[in-house]
Amino acid sequence: QPPRPCEDYWWEWKHCRGLRHAFHHYYTHGELPACGRWRDDYEACRAWETGRAAAAQEALCNSERARVMERQKYAPVWTLRKSPPPDWYLPLEQDKPN
Amino acid sequence: MERGEAAPSAAEEKGEEEDDLGYRLFPDRNKKPQSFLVRSLFTFHNKCQLMLRMTLDTNPYAQLLLDAMKQSGCTVFNDRHFSCENCDGCVSGGFDSATSQIVLCQNNIRHQSHMNRVVTHELIHAFDHCRAHVDWFKNVKHLACSEIRAANLSGDCTLMNEIARFKFGLKGHHQTCVRDRAIRSILAVRKVSKETAEKAVDEVFDACFNDLEPFGRIPHSKTDAKRAYRDFQNRDRYNANL
Repeated sequence: QPPRPCEDYWWEWKHCRGLRHAFHHYYTHGELPACGRWRDDYEACRAWETGRAAAAQEALCNSERARVMERQKYAPVWTLRKSPPPDWYLPLEQDKPN
Repeated sequence: MERGEAAPSAAEEKGEEEDDLGYRLFPDRNKKPQSFLVRSLFTFHNKCQLMLRMTLDTNPYAQLLLDAMKQSGCTVFNDRHFSCENCDGCVSGGFDSATSQIVLCQNNIRHQSHMNRVVTHELIHAFDHCRAHVDWFKNVKHLACSEIRAANLSGDCTLMNEIARFKFGLKGHHQTCVRDRAIRSILAVRKVSKETAEKAVDEVFDACFNDLEPFGRIPHSKTDAKRAYRDFQNRDRYNANL
């Protein structure tokens, strides 16, 4: 099944084209947003759901993967933990430095 | 402590180093709490508790962060991880990593919207503490990164908030605001020079400005935050079907 329900792509596209979002995007990034990608994703999603078209599936997955890669293109500043901090749940008296 | 709007970092100020790591702004941090009767007579304390409750129950930013922290293994308990205290100056809150507590300045937070923002800001610090090895005390870059993320994602830098601070700008002003607030926060809690703080922020800015965990987007309104929460809840399906 598609990574997100098709309504999500539709919502994102409509939201992207709205005035509020355009303003926020300009305020944040200094340029107006490009929304065509959400539309393409929506159409690919519909094609996937209705006809199970392989090309549509691949197009959509590639688009989503590209989104993820864009997020990850910077080297992380810190190392991630494998488990939560050990003192998170300790009662307060024990935590106080003496 | 990492400050939200000025929150010093927790650290032992036993005179070992000159840097008190910001504890001076939170004079009540290492004192025994006052008796229940005395505390309940102070309306600030009650108001703070009520507003905090309201935020945790209804605000989508806070709910997303609480859920994300739970997923990471750090469930947040109101009575253990939050503390309403009196603070100095213009501080609104802080995150004390030594005790894993979020401090809220009951004498400086007057409105619910402000409480929402401070709680979100500090929860982002707590979230970073929970999911990564953040060296709050010794690594300025780590501190800078968390401050950038908190200023970016908590709504500290909305146009309205900036105008209220008499800082005007439009094109890409959000980034300027995030950068400036991160530098201010670092300077409030560390004895470093302005150049050091600026350098640290500049070095990590790109990586940290674009690190939008757990939101996945920069939420400019509660609608965005609700959407982000929805995406967060659906992330298993998302990751499985990529």
